[in-house]
Amino acid sequence: MKKIEVSLDTVREVIEGFYEYKKWHFLTLNGLALAENKMEVQWIFSKYEALEETVVYFAQIAYTDVIPSIVDLIPSAIISQRELVDMFGVQVEGSEKGLYLDEDSLQNPLSGCSL
Amino acid sequence: MKQTINIPLGSQHIALLEPVRFKFECENEKIIGVDSDVGFVHRGIERACTTKFKFDSIGYVVARVCGLCAITHSLSYTVAIEKLLGGEISKKAKYLRILLLELDRIHSHMLCLSHTCENAGFEAMFMRIMGDRELVMEIQELLTGNRVQFDYISIGGVNRDLNSTVALKIKENLYEVKQRVLGYMDEFTNNWSLSLKFKGIGALSLDDAYIFNAIGPLARASGLNIDVRNEIDYLPFDEVGFLMQTHSDGDINARNLVRLNEILNSILMCENIINGLPEGEIFTKIKGKPNGEAIVRFEAPRGELMYYVKGNGTAMLDRVRIKTPTFASIPAFSHIFVGQDYADAPAILASFDPCLSCTAK
Amino acid sequence: MFSSFAKAFTNLFKTPQTIDYPLTPIEQEKEHRGLIEYGQEACIYCLKCEKACPPGAILFVPVENPPENEKNKKGLKYHYNPYLCIYCSECVRACPKPDEALWQSNKKSLPATKEDRVNESWFELERLKKQTD
Repeated sequence: MKKIEVSLDTVREVIEGFYEYKKWHFLTLNGLALAENKMEVQWIFSKYEALEETVVYFAQIAYTDVIPSIVDLIPSAIISQRELVDMFGVQVEGSEKGLYLDEDSLQNPLSGCSL
Repeated sequence: MKQTINIPLGSQHIALLEPVRFKFECENEKIIGVDSDVGFVHRGIERACTTKFKFDSIGYVVARVCGLCAITHSLSYTVAIEKLLGGEISKKAKYLRILLLELDRIHSHMLCLSHTCENAGFEAMFMRIMGDRELVMEIQELLTGNRVQFDYISIGGVNRDLNSTVALKIKENLYEVKQRVLGYMDEFTNNWSLSLKFKGIGALSLDDAYIFNAIGPLARASGLNIDVRNEIDYLPFDEVGFLMQTHSDGDINARNLVRLNEILNSILMCENIINGLPEGEIFTKIKGKPNGEAIVRFEAPRGELMYYVKGNGTAMLDRVRIKTPTFASIPAFSHIFVGQDYADAPAILASFDPCLSCTAK
Repeated sequence: MFSSFAKAFTNLFKTPQTIDYPLTPIEQEKEHRGLIEYGQEACIYCLKCEKACPPGAILFVPVENPPENEKNKKGLKYHYNPYLCIYCSECVRACPKPDEALWQSNKKSLPATKEDRVNESWFELERLKKQTD
């Protein structure tokens, strides 16, 4: 597992430069609650037909930040982005709430601060 | 001006096993837009894993994500913890893990095939495949003590040994299943209701499979060489005779054939394991508390399953991220529906073999 | 066409896959994972099973008339909830004296009725346990 830190401003450019659709397989978008009202967002990729090659781009952000969308680069990312919005209560461009959670259920269950 | 009609499929529908709702925007018979809602069975397992349970019992919690691939869930989690704790398990335990993983794949694929038949209106075949599936369920119960929730994997190895009478029974039943599956091959290639009707329906091209990151039998039917068993080294799949099964058509028929070929390959792997099971302990004690992060991937019957586990040196984990195969395939599903007839939608959906319990977790 | 007729004809004489349930009893697998059983005399009250149980289906709660056992210094009594148990046998593996103090049978748990007060009585025990901790 290779971890590379990026910032929210550059993540789109980095992924655009890195992602070749016949070489890399987009696994998922992952969120991780950190201390002091911060969270980590991870974009996880694996290589086709290679043994155990995973690359993780990560950015540490505040809950108020808006995460740029990568759906135009990787169409299948939309579902992970919507999950992230539901589970952590952050904003991702062009991804709306309500994939898993209804309006009357507990909100942002994984954010670790607002239950 | 063109007029479109919105027709829903689900959340309760005769062709569905689990609640999912698709909203199709149709122009006459053709589907031109798809919207999906998958969160009907959300149970908050990811949160429960980090707040309610200690790391050594989470293997049993995540097994409850899904009944059909329970073994893949607990196996992925357990391997992730073993990676963090740095323990090595015995070769025999690894082989027994593959044995159950492949038995699980056989019965899950048979379930999917039977539902494909049901959606084609071929009830008799549905009953036949479900009846034959009992042969596999029987040996699973003999091996693990339960039909669905195996609870067979624990951190450090497996819970039960394989004795000679069970091994013999497994061989007998698998031989029987193999004969039946060869019979299905004939039906699925030559029977009008099952093969010709399905040819060219719900097709996914290789390029689209790459673009939408399709996984599992869905991608392999389009000719994409993605099988996690080929890309991992924690279990010796290459030693037991794993062969990737692909097809080039990408339609429902191709998916059925890929599944049938995978059943045959899994039977071969199980036979090889039983014939060449190494001697040794089935359980090695691994001590410690997980610290650090690990990503583990496994090939569940429906495709790639990923676990991300982060520990902080205490008994409670920081994060357990479950990426399930159906969840990751939903963009590909939605893409396939566009341009198809509404009447074909249930059959196409059944050929995806969706597992909504996994998706919503 | 002909082969399907032949198949349909032979199917008439096949025995059914299902069993005639009330007349023929269901075969019980010998190795089926069923209820956990407890031997009070052999128990050494180490509480390892209670800690190991993933759903918390085993509780040792102090009672007024504890079962007679010299190892039982805190006056505890074993309680087991078959409706919470997932039959994983983690407790049996954790037990220092398996087969004597704690073992897994192949019996299945019976359905409970409202009169059994399965939930309420168990919640009371859990409350008691929390108070003593």
